Amino acid sequence: MARFIVRRLISMALVLFAISILTFLIFQAIPNGDPAVRMAGRLATPEQIAQIRQSWGFDDPIWQQYLTTMGKILSGDVISYTQQLNVMTQIKEALPATLSLSIGAGLIWLFFGIVFGLFSAIKAGRFTDRALTVLALVGVSTPVFLLGAVALYFLAFKLTIFPNGGYVPLTQDPIDWLYHMILPWIVLSVLFIGVYSRVLRSNVLDTMSEDYVRTARAKGIGERRVLVRHVLRNSMIPIISLWSLDFAAVIGGGAILTESVFNLHGVGQYAADSIQQLDVPPVLVVVMLGASAVVVLSAITDVLFAFLDPRIRLTG
Amino acid sequence: MRMWARTACAMLVAFAVSVGVAACGGNDNGSTSTTTSAGGASAGGRQGGTATVLMGTAPDYLDPQLAYTTQAVEAHWISYTGLLTYRHEEGKPGTELIPGLADALPRISRDGRTYEFTLRRGIRYSDGRPVRASDFPYSVERMVKIPWGGRSFVTNYVVGADAFDRGSARSISGITADDATGRITIRLREAYGAFPNVLAFPALAFVPRGTPIRNLSSDPPPGVGAYMLTDVVPNRTFTLRRNPAFAGFRIPDIPTGNLDSIRVNIVSNTNSEAQQVLNNQADVFDPGDTLPPALLPQIESQARSRFERKPVPSTFYFFLNTTKAPFDNEKARIAVNMAIDRDALSRIASGFLQTDCFFIPRGIVGHPDSACPYGDRPDLEGAQRMLREAGLVGAPVTVWGQERSPRKEYVDYYTDLLNRIGFRATERIISDTVYFPTIGNARTDPQTGFADWLQDFPNPSDFYLLMDGRSIQPTNNQNFSKVNDPHIQRELMRLNRVPATELDSVASDWQALDEYTARRAYVAVYGAEAVPKFFSDKLSFDSVFHPLYFNDWSTLSLK
Amino acid sequence: MAIDPATPDTTGSGAIRTAGGDRPVAAEPGGPPAAGIGPYRLARRRLLRNKVALAFGALFAVIVILCFCAPLYADHVAHTGPNDNHVTEQVQVGGETKDVVSPTGLPIGPTWHGRFLLGADQNGRDLAVRLLYGGRNSLEVGFIATAITMVLATIVGLTAGYFRGVVDGVLARILDLIWAYPVVLLGIALGTSLALGGITIGPIAMKGNSLFVPAVIIGIVYIPYVAKPIRGQVLGLREKEFVDAARVQGAGSLRIMAREILPNVASTLIVFLPLMVANAILLEAGLSYLGAGIQPPNPSWGTMISDGIRLIPSAIHLTFVPGAMLVLAVLGINVFGDGVRDALDPRARVRIAAKREDEIGESEMEVMVEH
Repeated sequence: MARFIVRRLISMALVLFAISILTFLIFQAIPNGDPAVRMAGRLATPEQIAQIRQSWGFDDPIWQQYLTTMGKILSGDVISYTQQLNVMTQIKEALPATLSLSIGAGLIWLFFGIVFGLFSAIKAGRFTDRALTVLALVGVSTPVFLLGAVALYFLAFKLTIFPNGGYVPLTQDPIDWLYHMILPWIVLSVLFIGVYSRVLRSNVLDTMSEDYVRTARAKGIGERRVLVRHVLRNSMIPIISLWSLDFAAVIGGGAILTESVFNLHGVGQYAADSIQQLDVPPVLVVVMLGASAVVVLSAITDVLFAFLDPRIRLTG
Repeated sequence: MRMWARTACAMLVAFAVSVGVAACGGNDNGSTSTTTSAGGASAGGRQGGTATVLMGTAPDYLDPQLAYTTQAVEAHWISYTGLLTYRHEEGKPGTELIPGLADALPRISRDGRTYEFTLRRGIRYSDGRPVRASDFPYSVERMVKIPWGGRSFVTNYVVGADAFDRGSARSISGITADDATGRITIRLREAYGAFPNVLAFPALAFVPRGTPIRNLSSDPPPGVGAYMLTDVVPNRTFTLRRNPAFAGFRIPDIPTGNLDSIRVNIVSNTNSEAQQVLNNQADVFDPGDTLPPALLPQIESQARSRFERKPVPSTFYFFLNTTKAPFDNEKARIAVNMAIDRDALSRIASGFLQTDCFFIPRGIVGHPDSACPYGDRPDLEGAQRMLREAGLVGAPVTVWGQERSPRKEYVDYYTDLLNRIGFRATERIISDTVYFPTIGNARTDPQTGFADWLQDFPNPSDFYLLMDGRSIQPTNNQNFSKVNDPHIQRELMRLNRVPATELDSVASDWQALDEYTARRAYVAVYGAEAVPKFFSDKLSFDSVFHPLYFNDWSTLSLK
Repeated sequence: MAIDPATPDTTGSGAIRTAGGDRPVAAEPGGPPAAGIGPYRLARRRLLRNKVALAFGALFAVIVILCFCAPLYADHVAHTGPNDNHVTEQVQVGGETKDVVSPTGLPIGPTWHGRFLLGADQNGRDLAVRLLYGGRNSLEVGFIATAITMVLATIVGLTAGYFRGVVDGVLARILDLIWAYPVVLLGIALGTSLALGGITIGPIAMKGNSLFVPAVIIGIVYIPYVAKPIRGQVLGLREKEFVDAARVQGAGSLRIMAREILPNVASTLIVFLPLMVANAILLEAGLSYLGAGIQPPNPSWGTMISDGIRLIPSAIHLTFVPGAMLVLAVLGINVFGDGVRDALDPRARVRIAAKREDEIGESEMEVMVEH
C-alpha cells in the first residue's frame, strides 16, 4: 500500500515537472513574443527594451530563466508580466468563483446524470430510452459557449430573469451568489449530464445482467430495492472515478469557456486572458495547479478504490 | 426513491425562493445624497450621488506613473494633476493647455530650451500632505525609474534624464526646484515644441516625495485632483471618491466634480456591459470598448437621447512598406489609395469610423481642408489599370492584421480588395498582444497591414513620429511604412521646435506637409475612430466628452 | 466545451470485450445459435436494425457531401467565393433593393434566393457559401485530427501494452502528461504559438495558417483518450494463449502485434472513431472561439459562431446557421457512433440470456436484440 502511494507521488512529481517545462518551452518558441518589447510600450527605444530585458532576466539562458521562475513560483513570489501583480494572490481571488462553478455544476450533473441514466436503463429499448439518448447526445454535441451566449441573451437580457453574468461572493450575499450561479451551472452541466447518463445507463444494464442481481431477484427482493441496493451501488464505482477526473479538469481550467461567457473572473478565465497576453508566469502556475488537481484526484480515487475493492488492488 | 425525490423537491423550493427574493431585491445603484460644494468650475451640475462605470478592459495600471491606456488615464487625469493640464471642454478647445499646479503657463526661453514655472501655493495631496516644488523632480525620476512606457519623451529631451535612466547619475540634472520660492526650472537638450504636452501627461503629475518606486496599482499614491482613487481590487473594481479639499484650492478652469463617488467595474463581456447600461443597471459604457453592433438598433431606438458617436482624433490606416516590393513602387501605393472604399470600412465599423484620407486627423491643428488627392469615391478600374502599367499584376502580398473586431474585418476587406485590383494577397491575422512588436520587427519586415495611432497628445508632431525617418528602429519600430523622405525631414526639423502653446501660428505649414504626404501615398488612411458616449438615463447627458480623455467624469452629474 | 470525458467505456471494465475467439451464443431471437456468423456480420445486422442510428448517420453523411461540394455551390448557385466581400453592394429581394450591409454594419438576413441564400456576414460575404466551405474546413480538421489520434494512439497503446516494462513506463508517463494538461489551455497555447510561427519538423513545414496546425494539436490532445483503453486491453490480451502460440511458432514481436493483437482491439478502435471525430469538431470550434483555431479568412464553423456571437440580438442568423450545422453534424455522428457501439457490444447476448429466464414476451426480446 505504502509503496503504491510513494510510486504514485513520484510519478506525479515527474508529470508536473514535465508539464512546467513543456509550457515554458511553448512560450519561448513564440516568435516576437518577447515580453520585454511589450512591457516597454510602443514608444520604447531599443536601449530601453534591452534595459527591461536585463532587469527581468530575459537575456539569461533558458534553463536559468526556467529555474528562476520555478523558484519564484514555489516561494509564492511570482509576478505577472503584464500588470506585475502577484500571481498567487490573483489566483486566490479567482478561486472561489471557479470552485462555486465546479462544485455546483458537478453536483448537478452527477445527480441528473444518474437520474436520467437510471431512467434510461429501466426503460431500455423503449421510446423513452431512445428519446433520452438523443437528448443526452444533443447536450454533448453543443458547444458550451454557444449555449451560454444564447442563454444569456434570452434569459438575462430579453427576459431579465437572470443576471447578466458576473459573480457575487458567497460570503457577501448567499442568495445573490445563487442567483448568479444558476445559469452557469445549468450551461456547464448540460454537457456532462449527457455523458454521465449514457455511462450510467450502460453500467446499469451491465450490472443488471450480473449473477448476483439475478440471485437477488430470485430471492424475491422487490425490484426497487434490487435497483438501489445492488445495481446502483455497483454501477456507481466507475461513475465516481470518472466524476473525480472531470471535476478536477473543470477546476483546473476546463471551464474556461463557461467562465468567459459569464464573466465569472475565475481561474480559467484568468488563464485564458494570460495566454492571450502571452503572460508566462500566470499560465505556468495555472497549468501546474490544474494538472496537479487532476493527478492528485485521480491518485486519491485509485487509492480509495484499491481500499474498497480488493479485486482492484490485486491487479493494480 | 423517497430520498432523492425529497432532495429534489427541497432543491426546487430553495431555488424558487431564492429567485423570488432576488427578483424582489432588484438593483440598487446607491442612494443619492445632497452635499454642497465650494466654488470650482462645475456650476450647473446637480451635486451628490454615485454612478457606476463599466469597463470591458481593465486599466493596465492604476499607478499613474505606469499607466498607458485610455482606461487608465480616464481615471488619472481627474485624480492626479501636474504642472499643466488641458481645458475640460469638447473639441478643439479641449486640446488647449492650461496651468494645473503651476500658477501660469511656462516662461519659455527664446531658444526653446528652458522652461520656468512657479508652483501654486497652498495645495495639498489627497492625504493632506502639502505639495512642494521638490516633489516634481522626484515624480519625474520615479516615472523614469519605474519605468513608464512613454519615458522617452523625457529621456530624449531633458538634460540629464538619459544619464539618470542609464543609472550613471543619481538625479536628473536638468530639473531644479526650490521649495522656498516654489520655482521649478527644466532645461532641454534641444528645443522640443511638444514638451508642454508632455508635462500634461498624468504620468508627470505630482506625487509626494518618497513614494515607493514600485507598482502601487493596488493602493495608488496620493495625488492632487477633484477625485481620489480608493477601494482597488485589481482587474475587478476601483472607486473614485470626491476630494472635498480640492475645491478650496481654487484652481481656475478645473471642475471640482459633482458626484460624490464613481465606481468602476470591469466586465469583460461587452455584450453584457452594453446591455446593463441599456437596462439602466449601470451608468456609463466605457468609450474604450467596442459597442456590440448587434445592440445598435435597440440602442438607437430605445436610448437615442443618451447615445452618441464621438469621433476622437486618431488615424486608422494601412501601412505600405516603401522599402520593399511591391509598395516601393509609388504606382502600387497610389492604386491602393484609389481603390479603397472608405464607406465599406465605415460599415464594417458599424458607423464608428469618421472617414478621412489625411494622416493628421480632424480636431488636430494641421488637418488639411483640401480635397483628397485620389478622390473620395473608389475607382477600381483605375487602380487595376495603374497596376498593369506598373507591371505588378500577380505580385504576392502578405497582409498583416489583428484578431480584434473590427480590425480583423478591416483586413479581411483590404485583402479581398488587393486581390481585386490584381495582387495575389493572403492575410495573416495574429494575436493582438504580439501584433505591434511583430510588425515592428525588422525580421518580419511586413509589406502591408493594419495600423492605427491614437494621439498621445493633441499635437501633429505626435502623429508625424510615424513618418519620421529618424524613428525607424530594428525592433519596436512604429514607422511601419519606413518613410524617409528628405522633404518631410526638413519640415519636421523646423516644425517640431515650435512650442505647443504657439501651434496655431504654423497650422498652414502642417497642412501643406500633410497634403504632400497624402500625394506620395505613403499610407492608405481611411479615417478616425468614433467611440460611443453611452449613459443610463440616470445621468445628465450634458457632461464633457474630452478629445483626449473621453468622458470627463468630473463633469458627470445625476439628472 | 469543457473537457469531454470521452467514451462511456472509460470505465476500465469496459463493455468492449475481445471480439475474436468467441462463439456467438444467440444471434436470432428464439432461434438456435447460428454457427459461423462472425461478430462483425452480427454487429452489422444489429446496426441495420437500429433505425435511429442509421438516420443520424445518414444526416452526417449528407452534411459531409454538401460541404465537400462547396465549390459547386459557390460557382453555380451563389456566384461568389467564401472570401469575396460585398460590403457596399445592394441586392434585389422580393422587388426591394436592400443593402448587403447597412451603414450601421448590420448584414442582410436570409433572402432564400441564389445569392445570399442564408444571408450575409458583416463583411458582406455570402453566409451559405462560407457555411459549406467552413464545414469543409471543420470536417477536414476533424478527420485529419482523428486520423492522427487513431494512428498514434494505436501505435502507442500497442507498444506500451505489449512491451511493458520501461517502454510502458515512459509511454504511460507521456500519456499522463498530455492527459493531465488542461485540454483547452494546451490547445490555446500551442495554437497561439504555432499560428504565429508555423512549425517545421524535418522536411514537413507547416505555415502558420495551414489547416494542419489545429489538426495536429487536436490530434495530439486526444491521444490519451484512445491510447489508455487500448493499452489496458493489450495488457490483458498479451497473456492469452493465442499470443503464446504465435510466439512459440517463432513470430517476431511486430508480427504478433500486427496480426494477433491488432485485430482484437479493432472493435475498440471502431467504436472510438466516430466519437473522436465528434470531439475533434467540437474542440476546433472551442479553439476558434478563443482565437487559436483555424486562421482567418478561412471560415470554419467555430470561427463563424464566435464571430456571430457579437451580433446575436440583431443578426442571429450569423450564429444560428453555423451553430445548427455544427450541432447537427456532431449529433449525427454521435448517435451513429452510439449505435455502432451498441451493435458491437457482446454484452447484448448476455442480456438476452438473462432476460429469457425472466420469461418476457417475444416482442420484448426482439427489442433487446436491437441493442
